[in-house]
This record gives sequence, C-alpha cells and structure tokens, in this order.
Amino acid sequence: MPDVQSTVVEFVNKLRKRKIEGSQATAKCTVELLRSVISYQRVPHANQAAALIDAVKAVGQQLVAANPVELAVGNVVRRVLHIIREEDLSLTTAAMAGLDLLDASDDDDVDNCKGIGYPAMSAAVVAAAARSTLRPPSLQTLLEGTPESATVPYTSSSGADSESKTADKSSLTRKLKHDVIEGVNQLIHEIAGCHEQIAEQAIEHIHQNEVILTLGSSRTVLEFLCAAKEKKRSFRVFVAEGAPRYQGHLLAKELVARGLQTTVITDSAVFAMISRVNMVIIGAHAVMANGGVIGPVGVNMAALAAKKHAVPFVVLAGSHKLCPLYPHNPEVLLNELRSPSELLDFGEFSDCLDSGAGSGSLQVVNPTFDYVPPNLVSLFITDTGGHNPSYMYRLIADYYSADDLVM
Amino acid sequence: MWRRSPSFILDERRTSSSPPMADTTRAPFQNPDSISAYYQTRAAHHGVITSEWLSQAQAAVGGVSGDEHPISSLTDLGDGKSFNVIEEFNSWRKQPDLAEAVAAIRALAAVIRASEATTMMELEIELKKASDTLKSWDKTSISLTAGCDLFIRYVTRTSALEYEDFNSAKSRLLERAEKFGEISCKARRIIAMLSQDFIFDGCTILVHGLSRVVLEILKTAAQNNKLFRVLCTEGRPDGTGVLLSSELSKLDIPVKLLLDSAVAYSMDEVDMVFVGADGVVESGGIINMMGTYQIALVAHSMNKPVYVAAESYKFARLYPLDQKDMAPALRPIEFGIKIPTKVEVERSARDYTPPQYLTLLFTDLGVLSPSVVSDELIQLYL
Repeated sequence: MPDVQSTVVEFVNKLRKRKIEGSQATAKCTVELLRSVISYQRVPHANQAAALIDAVKAVGQQLVAANPVELAVGNVVRRVLHIIREEDLSLTTAAMAGLDLLDASDDDDVDNCKGIGYPAMSAAVVAAAARSTLRPPSLQTLLEGTPESATVPYTSSSGADSESKTADKSSLTRKLKHDVIEGVNQLIHEIAGCHEQIAEQAIEHIHQNEVILTLGSSRTVLEFLCAAKEKKRSFRVFVAEGAPRYQGHLLAKELVARGLQTTVITDSAVFAMISRVNMVIIGAHAVMANGGVIGPVGVNMAALAAKKHAVPFVVLAGSHKLCPLYPHNPEVLLNELRSPSELLDFGEFSDCLDSGAGSGSLQVVNPTFDYVPPNLVSLFITDTGGHNPSYMYRLIADYYSADDLVM
Repeated sequence: MWRRSPSFILDERRTSSSPPMADTTRAPFQNPDSISAYYQTRAAHHGVITSEWLSQAQAAVGGVSGDEHPISSLTDLGDGKSFNVIEEFNSWRKQPDLAEAVAAIRALAAVIRASEATTMMELEIELKKASDTLKSWDKTSISLTAGCDLFIRYVTRTSALEYEDFNSAKSRLLERAEKFGEISCKARRIIAMLSQDFIFDGCTILVHGLSRVVLEILKTAAQNNKLFRVLCTEGRPDGTGVLLSSELSKLDIPVKLLLDSAVAYSMDEVDMVFVGADGVVESGGIINMMGTYQIALVAHSMNKPVYVAAESYKFARLYPLDQKDMAPALRPIEFGIKIPTKVEVERSARDYTPPQYLTLLFTDLGVLSPSVVSDELIQLYL
C-alpha cells in the first residue's frame, strides 16, 4: 500500500514537470498506475465497487490536477471508472440470476426473502433498473427516478446466513477485482495498439497519385501514411514544419527514410499550397465531446484553409484521446504556454524582454495547442473506424459513464 | 391572401367565391378563431393586457357563463371525464411557475385518479383518449404534446414490468406523475449548473424572450459572483424584454434593452446568445418565440455561439421543413393605432430555428449538440 502511494506521488511530479510527452505515453503510464492502485486496494465485502471507484477517483483527481491540459489522463481515469461500473453491473445481474434460482429451490425461504423487504418486482426489473443507472440519463428514464434496487442484492445476500451464500460472497469479492483488472489490461492493449488499428484504414482513404498535407509530427500520421505506402499506393506528402519546434522536419526525415516523396513547407505557405492538395491529415492531441479538436498550434489555420478550398480535413485520434467534456474557451483553458526561448534568443533581445529597464517591453506568447471547431473537420478516424464529427458523442457515451464526468 | 405562389390574385378570387366552411364544421373541443391558447397563457403569465383579454374579463365579470374556454357550452357532447381533463389542465397551466408539460402530466394523473378501470389496458385506453382530447384542444403547444406522449410512453412501459397487482401499479404511476413537478424544477437547476462554465467574467449575453430556464441560469451565475451583462430584446408583442430586465436588475445584473430590430446592430459586442425553447424538434432545431430565428441567423453570420436551454421533456416528434410547416399559432398584436381592415398582420407567435444555427443545447440530460436530439428521441420512441 505505501509502495503504491509513493508511485502515485512520483507520477504526479512527473506530470507536473511535464516530463512525459505525448498522450499515448501518458495514457499508458496512467493506466498502469491505476492498475496497481486497484490491485493493492483492499475492498470490503459489501459495496466493493464503490470502494474501488473512490480509490481510483482520489488518485485520478490528483493526476488531473497535476496536468489539466493533458486530457488523456482524465480520459483514461474515466475509462477505468466505467470499466469498474460495468463489471460490477454484469456481476450483479449474474448474482441476481443465481439468487433467483436459489429462491426457486428453497420453498421455506421464499417468504423469508420477500420479508427482507424485497420490493414486489421481478429480478428482471431490478436488473433493468440497475442497467439504466449505468447508462446516461435519457428521456426513457426521466420519469423513473433513481431506483434503490442497486443496493438490494447486497442487503439480501448479507441477510442470508446459509454457508453456500457466504462462499459465493467471497468468490464474488475476488471476481470483481479480477474482472476489473482484466478490463484494464484490455484497455492497455487497446491504447498500445491504436496506431495499427488506425493505420489499417489508410488504404481506404489514400488513393493513387494523391497529394497529402500534414502539419507537425504525429506518430499516428506517420504509421497511417506508411501503411498506405506498403499497400503500393504512390502519393506525395507536404509537411508543414510546425514552428517553433520544427517537428515537421523530423517527420519529413522519417517519411523519406520509408521511401515517400516529401516536400517541406513553412506554416505560412499552407494557404498558398492548399489548392494543390487533395487531403489534409493531422493527428490530434485531444477530441472534445462536440467534435472539436485540440491539435498542435497551426492546425486551425490549416483547417480554415482547407475549408476555404473544399479540401477534406481528416483527423486521426486513438480512443484514449476522446474527452467527454465540452470545451468552453479552449484557446485559453486547454492551452499551455511554452517557454519563449523557443522563439527568441534571450541574448539578442535581453533589453526588450526586461520589463524593468527602458520603455515598453516585448511579450512573447508561445501556445502549444490550437482549437479547431467541429464544423471545419470532415472526418475522424479512430481505432473503431471513420466517423462524422457530430457522431463523436456516441462513442463517448459508449466509453464513459455520466457519473464520472465531474471528478 | 399571401400564399406562397405569387398568383395571390387568382387565389383571392377563388377563396372569395367559396364560402368559408371552417367555422361551421369545427370539431368539438376545438379552440375558436385559431388564437393559440398556449401563447395566450404565456401572455397572461407575463401580465400583458390586450384588448381581447379585457373584453373577456369584462364578460366574465358581467356574469356571463362563458369563460375563456368554449367547452362549457358543449358539456352534453362529451362525457364528464374529458371535460375534467381540460379544466384540470387549464387550472394547472395558469400557475406562472409551472411548466406546460408538468401541467399536462398532472392533468393526466387526475384522469388516472378518477378512473374506474380495473386493468392496465383499460387505463391506457382512457389515458390515450384524455391525451388526444388535450392535444386536439390546443394544437399549438409542443410541450403539451411532448409531455402527454412521454407520460403515455412511460405508462405503456410500466405495464410491461410485471407489477404484482393493478392497484400498486396505479399508485406507482400516480406517484411518478406527482414527482414530475419536482423533476421539472430539478431539471432547471441541472441546466443552470451545466451552463455555468460557459459564462465567463466580462461576457455579454444576448437574451430573447422570457424563458424561466434562462432566468434560472442567469440567477445562478449572478449568485456565483460572475461579472457579466445582459442585452435583452424588447420582445414585441409580449414585452418580455421589459419584464426580464426588471427581474435582472433586481439581481444587480447590468441590463440593456434593445429593439428587436437593433439585434444586428449590437451583435458585435455580444459574446453569446441564450434562448429558451417552446419545443425541440427531431432535427435538433427549436421552436421558440418569434424572432429567435432572426437572432440565430445574425449570430451565426457573425460567429457568435447560440446556446439553447431546454428541459428534455420538450423534445417532440416533429420535423418542420420550413417556417410554415407547423400548426399555425396566432396571437393578437396591438399596434396602438387602428389598422385599416385591408391591411393584413402577420400574427404568428413562433418560428423555427434550424439546427445548423444552434451551437449547443443545455438540457437536464447533459450538454448536447443538436445532432444528439434525434438519437434521444429514437431511443424513446422506436
């Protein structure tokens, strides 16, 4: 237990000092940390899911507070919480089915069970009601109100004193943790494999003799383009260099090494070249619930240029980048300002930058991210396939529970 | 006379030749002279005194038995229950703080209470009849239709859930119907909470119409000590702007009144537009007080977000393709001076705003984009 605490603190520090770069690496580390938290967490016999959820939430809040701009952390924490809730629900419905059989076999206990305070509803109703608490609130459940039936299985199972039931209980404890850890392993596998899943779809989108434009450097985009190259499609790539970090240069080197014809252009030349381009493909840092994209600085400009010339704007994003929150003021709140030394050399400009001496001072703004509104995006390619921006809320409803949105 | 085809002259000749048949073959329980009862009630809530209202009030004081609804003269036509439904509904609807759908569901709950049915099927049939009566009485109220449909849907699904006996099922239905009023109030609070993040310090909000939900949002923002100012449109002919500005000035929020025609003039200093909705349709668009479409168009052309605050029970299974596609909802408009009889007046009380001009909808189901609305409706109805 203390071991886990120190790993958490260490990870929080790493996040705060921005030592981990890239949403995939961050997501992977976060999931592994949460997995160890879950496996070391002692769970009481009753309401184990709640204990696990509380533990994960506590750690999750610390992680999100350390780096609120890295949305992958929050996404992954919410995914794990959703997994816990789902596994708990499936175990509960299985237990309900089991209890039902037990009731049918014991004639004497029938009145007993009813006497515990079991409402006059069939087990199917209880399961359906419990399932509805997992789904986000909808028009269907508007009139139903919150059922207290989710806690009924626990009370009825703890009220019974037959030995077979206590044996079931302890196996139930171990089973929930086991299932959750299995689910979390699957999540890790999914995060690690997102590049291959997305790259598989490259062949459908990139055609012969096309010109692709990309900005900055994204590993997803690299794998995507190389997968198309491997399937013997010949095409050209324009890479906008992505000042001030010039990561486009690295991407261009990689692409040339894999045999693709590449052209490097400055960011300011994007508008000039856009009319000669067939498709713009970029990688995202995060995708918000309304379909808006947080990407490296400069993508909003590329998106506007693409809209103007009716060029399809395709965004590649792994499922760990889907965030269930709606952006309000993302240019300020979801952005990070980096050091001005990337733009200006302090030695040359020391007299202007020093606000104390002389008249006026030079300010340098170096934002990391850009926000692209959903109406500029043509297509999202995730590991589950290609989707419309207006469809993103659907994926989000599948991956996350409504209760976890505010942590 | 002003039909869609330019050949209105021919049409005029045609209509003047055939005598108007609409009034004589009116079905019972229909509102006469197609003044929308829904918008009349809204006007009554806002305290707008029109000359019609005055004449009706005088008639009522004068001891004439005819009150606002003509149904009383037709009691022998319908049975006692359907008379009860509409009376009940109207009595609930008069309360200014109660949402339309809540009034409808309370009226239907009264039907359940008064019903002598012994099986769920019988009860469902009675409810369906009552709901049809309510809907045909006021065709223009979308919340009413949506509320009735939602309740009927809930009843149908509850009966499928194998309740032990009929009476417990009935009492559960009654209990949920009573609770719905709380759900409605809770919905407003949830919407207010969800929209707080979107109001930032120093922003300017344009508001159109007097929506109780939007008022709740602004109240909550003021309570959270956010600094913002509000521009509200005058809202002719209801005068909603004046009412809203008096409410907001009580909360010490700086308010500025605009003429309805001054919206485009002021739009560049606006950061966001907040409107309520009378109904949310399947496409994700909204039906709201006349003028909303205009404001949404102007906001869209100037890249300002338009946020709609609507409770989820206002989602309706309508799909208007243009402005005239809905049942006409007319309301009397006062100009202060006499209009010559040959001049027509556009008396429609509402318009339809297509979904591409709306940015986000704040509902008690969460923050939704307009495309999510049809998904929710499909889940409920199909």
